[in-house]
Amino acid sequence: MTDQNGIGVYLCSGCAIGQSIDVDALSGIAASEFKVPICKTHECLCGDEAVAMIAEDVASGGVEKPVIAACSPRVMTDRFQFDGAQVIRANMREQVVWCHPPGDEDTQMLANDQLRMAITRATKSNAPEPWKEGEFSDKILVVGGGYVGLSAALEASRAGTDVLLVERSDQLGGNVRRWSKVLPDSPPYGTPRDNPVPGLIAAVEGDARISVMTDAIVAQTSGQPGQFKVEITNGGSTSEEMVGAIVLATGWRPYDPNKLGHLGYGASPDVVTNVELEEMLAAGKVAKKNVAFIQCAGSRDPDHLPYCSSVCCGVSIKHALQLIEADPDVMAYVIFQELRTPGVAEDLYRAAQDAGVIFMKGDVKSVGADLTVVVDDALLGEEVPLQGLDMVVLATGMVPNSTNIDLPTRELGEDEEMPPLLRSDIDTTAPITVAGYMGEEPAAVEKREETMPEGGPLLNLKYHQGPHLPMLADGFPDSHFICFPYESRRTGIYPCGPLRRPMDMGEAGLDAAGAVLKAIQTIRLVRDGASVHPRSGDLSYPKIGLEPCTKCRRCTIECPFGAIDETDKDYPVVNPARCRRCGTCMGACPVRTISFDNYSIDMLTSMAKSCEIPDEFDEKPRVLILACENDAYPALDMAGLSRRNYSAFVRIIPVNCLGSVSALNVSDALSVGYDGIILMGCKSGDNYQCHFVKGSAMAQERAANIEETLASMMLEKERVEAMEVEISDAERVGQLIDDFVATIDEIGFNPFKGF
Amino acid sequence: MSKSYTYYPGCTSRSSSMHLEKSLRAIAPKLGMELNEIEDWNCCGTSVGHIAEGRLPNAALSARNLALAKDRGEDDVVTACAACFIHTHDANEQIREDEGFKADLNEALAEAGQAYDGSLLVRHVCEVMVKDVGVDAIKAQVTNPLTGLKVAGWTGCQTVRPFAATERGGMFDDFDDPKFMRDFIEACGAEAVEFANNTSCCGGSVAVISPQKSLQLMKTILDEAKEREADCVATPCPLCQQNLEMYQDLINKEFGTDFQIPVVFYSQLMAVAFGLNPLTDAALNQQMIPATKLVEMGTK
Amino acid sequence: MTAHLPETKRKYDLTFARWVSRNVHGGDKLNMCMQCGVCSGSCPLGEQMDYGPRRLFMMIRAGMKDEVMKSDTIWNCVACYRSEVRCPRGVPVTHILDSLSVVAVREGYAEAKNAETTRFAKAFWWSAKKFGLTDERLVTALYYFSGGIGEGIRKGMANQKIALRMIGKKRMHVGMPRKIKRRGELKKILAKAVEIENRNDAAAGEEVKS
Repeated sequence: MTDQNGIGVYLCSGCAIGQSIDVDALSGIAASEFKVPICKTHECLCGDEAVAMIAEDVASGGVEKPVIAACSPRVMTDRFQFDGAQVIRANMREQVVWCHPPGDEDTQMLANDQLRMAITRATKSNAPEPWKEGEFSDKILVVGGGYVGLSAALEASRAGTDVLLVERSDQLGGNVRRWSKVLPDSPPYGTPRDNPVPGLIAAVEGDARISVMTDAIVAQTSGQPGQFKVEITNGGSTSEEMVGAIVLATGWRPYDPNKLGHLGYGASPDVVTNVELEEMLAAGKVAKKNVAFIQCAGSRDPDHLPYCSSVCCGVSIKHALQLIEADPDVMAYVIFQELRTPGVAEDLYRAAQDAGVIFMKGDVKSVGADLTVVVDDALLGEEVPLQGLDMVVLATGMVPNSTNIDLPTRELGEDEEMPPLLRSDIDTTAPITVAGYMGEEPAAVEKREETMPEGGPLLNLKYHQGPHLPMLADGFPDSHFICFPYESRRTGIYPCGPLRRPMDMGEAGLDAAGAVLKAIQTIRLVRDGASVHPRSGDLSYPKIGLEPCTKCRRCTIECPFGAIDETDKDYPVVNPARCRRCGTCMGACPVRTISFDNYSIDMLTSMAKSCEIPDEFDEKPRVLILACENDAYPALDMAGLSRRNYSAFVRIIPVNCLGSVSALNVSDALSVGYDGIILMGCKSGDNYQCHFVKGSAMAQERAANIEETLASMMLEKERVEAMEVEISDAERVGQLIDDFVATIDEIGFNPFKGF
Repeated sequence: MSKSYTYYPGCTSRSSSMHLEKSLRAIAPKLGMELNEIEDWNCCGTSVGHIAEGRLPNAALSARNLALAKDRGEDDVVTACAACFIHTHDANEQIREDEGFKADLNEALAEAGQAYDGSLLVRHVCEVMVKDVGVDAIKAQVTNPLTGLKVAGWTGCQTVRPFAATERGGMFDDFDDPKFMRDFIEACGAEAVEFANNTSCCGGSVAVISPQKSLQLMKTILDEAKEREADCVATPCPLCQQNLEMYQDLINKEFGTDFQIPVVFYSQLMAVAFGLNPLTDAALNQQMIPATKLVEMGTK
Repeated sequence: MTAHLPETKRKYDLTFARWVSRNVHGGDKLNMCMQCGVCSGSCPLGEQMDYGPRRLFMMIRAGMKDEVMKSDTIWNCVACYRSEVRCPRGVPVTHILDSLSVVAVREGYAEAKNAETTRFAKAFWWSAKKFGLTDERLVTALYYFSGGIGEGIRKGMANQKIALRMIGKKRMHVGMPRKIKRRGELKKILAKAVEIENRNDAAAGEEVKS
């Protein structure tokens, strides 16, 4: 072993580590095997005294990479943080002494290997040099001048940020501008509220930080967060602006009622949509006495919009109240399947009941040309014809404006491939199990053929992966709405409001603020060359050595965030500020030419190889677990926390994302004698929980490909398994490991052991 | 210290639940309650009165009682009968809340030169015992603790509904799981068995009018009492006591059971626990199903 | 009595619901019913009713006047008030059912007139009006015979054993009925109350016609 300059090993004997394993033996390994010049043991490494000791070693310049062999890297991060040092952690507590018997030979061997892997990691890790080339802009571009866009612009201005607000129509205000009253989002919740949009327009127009362009669309967007270059066409002229981040507030349009002939639309002029009624009310000319509202018109219907637009119930109630207020003799019937008035909307529902609005639960069977509505009344248990109506209102839902519907849909050329917009990815047309869906658990649907989205792109991104914003499902350009609202799969571009998911104005206002905060955060981080979350603050970024590059394009295609473009000579080029540091490109590259300063395929393989592999006569198999740091690794910590003992034959390496694991890591590990390999990641598929959208899906795919490799090595396919766990799987993760080790026992040892 | 209450006994105090009246009269002095009857009181109308002639004539019955009670000059009217309580209280609250109703009733009362303004508070005697007397004071009077007696406390419905947990109902207990019967039983030194049917309905007047409809309801109550090995069921409600006691034979005939479970009033338990005569004071001699164990406890 | 329930022309014609709202005690709260069914689920005799309270209230909304008035729901209410205290919307279920039964009798629905409860109530009212008190023996006897001599004897025989045991325990009064002292006073009050009730009722009828 070479001299390990800059590495210092610090061993903690507290938290029962000292009682369970031989810490002195670890110290011996550091000194003899790795020739680490500084190795210190302390009974409470996170205490002030020990922390001061490490800080001093770092400050004196002797230690650049302190290796902390103590608790999990997920805890005490603030204690073990030293300026100018790269801290490497060896998890001796949660993943060694808390889940394996004390004083046991196998526990000690595991501890030894934990230290070996950490020191190896330190030797393979370089201090990252952040990328911060060129000029940065702090300005935020807000696209869409409706309620959400106006709110976002004002929020950004209040936070001290300059805003460019672009609206495609000739005036600000969006859909809401044409309305009379809106749903209440402040007390009294039982009374429709006056339209706030005129006030917002005035505030925006009087705000010195906000410049407004109407009749304008974004013709092209290139660059990356902090340095987006946007071309805006306004009438005939085109101008160019530099912005740091983009907030998308293009809102929604009503579902096309011409598709609702079965509910009478088109058969009579008195069958109108809720949006049409909204405009009639604003114009003040609704002289109808008997009005039926049909809820979920074209919503929660597999043949139309499969989802719930969440506001239509409230809106119909508001309409009924407005009609009754204007004329107390009005009879208003709301025909619903499930009336959804969550939270304070309950007050509005009560106000309507009090005002005498009749709520009928049931399916609408038919709407006649004479406006007779036949309802299969679930509360009465019989079919009821509602007669004598003079207006039927269809409560239609929201369609997100995730494209510019005014622009033509681009047709693919004869030999042109579908741009790698969504390919080999989640199924954007599959139902997702969230509240508001049509059934309990949506049945699996056949993945529909991908087509170019209807309409032109909103931002016309000059990204290799295409001009459109990727969709999550049902046309909503979200990326991970469960955990990370406002995020799209294009870093620095934040959709909010009903563009992101159906929502009312109260929620949309908050959404605008949330998206603006995300945008500001991004602008600040990329200035420092740091990653936005989930690896917030990571200063490294993927570097591609072009010499071995075969131009296979896997990195450009597989990047979940479209961060990698191509040069005119077809070489990949990374836009570091777009990158989220998942390493999917690194895992994809067949020639290992993509790596980070502090993270590489070589590092992972070296760590695996640094472990002692006993020969088969010792009857101690070894299983390598490459565990995603977001869900799988925490789940393993949780197992330790709950003292769930599992096999001590496993060796665990945390990875940025399972997407960063290469098939080469697997074959390398098998060739050095590991008996089995687990790729442990988060849930993939349409309800994915992967922080990087499709890392775990990529791992599943690669694991399937590895089967062929195994076959060529004459190895059993059971030796490699991709598993999906959740952070709460403390018990299950232990069981998965034990079952896997049992399988390996059955198959027998890796014949390459000791080869 | 004794407190004086205007008292409305109700019709059953003179007949079917005479034993409630007698035992209550026996324990009242010990608990410092002086019960002064409304002079020349009449029937409350019960749960069927309104059907005969309508809501107003029915309420007029209560209005006359309240007008007479008001003449006594005390603030509260106390009654021990669940039905009397509910109907008198209800009429009183309607008089307070509905000016038109109040005017109509006063127009009727004027025929007899009477008037009522709604200023009284109608209270159930159990509420008075919980809030004015207090369970500790009840416990303090116990000289003959009913140790070893297992009692199923059965509150029934109307004593706690719909007023018990309202401001005007004294906020004295819960609608669905009232505690006061358990407290009374335990204060007497007896064991209050778990009783899930605490507020189950016996069928009320429907049980009187068409027994077949409600036998199953009573059987459920008796089933649990038997399962819990209760020596007796104790209740505050006259109609509950009467229904559950007098229909046991019919239930046995109908369902092939062999229930012989005594059904007593809390006041009878207290009378025995206070060391009074079990037969005359506690009026246990008026049980159709003899409460033998309780009688024995009082005669040792 | 003047029948003055409004005619309903079609389903969900609100005239009946509005009439109930204005003329049935507690009916003004009926609007707030959200059809959750806590009432029907809480009812001890719910299974023996034509319709549970929830369904009955929806039928009122739907203008199903005759079905509502003929239903036995209103006669099977045991007045335990469980639904009333549990209703999340504060609908006074028991009060409304009580009041509906008054309306059904007044409107002359045969089902109401012949309901056992009605016959019992008539017997009871006779005693209350005549003596000022309920004489359980006389009320019960009168009730039994209100259904005809044959039924009276049958019911009387069935309950004779109970009656005799009650008498034996001095819990049923025999002999001359007990009376309050100032029966004349009570009689005058009740007569006036009936007069006012009819007056109010007629006024409500006028309102419907107009």
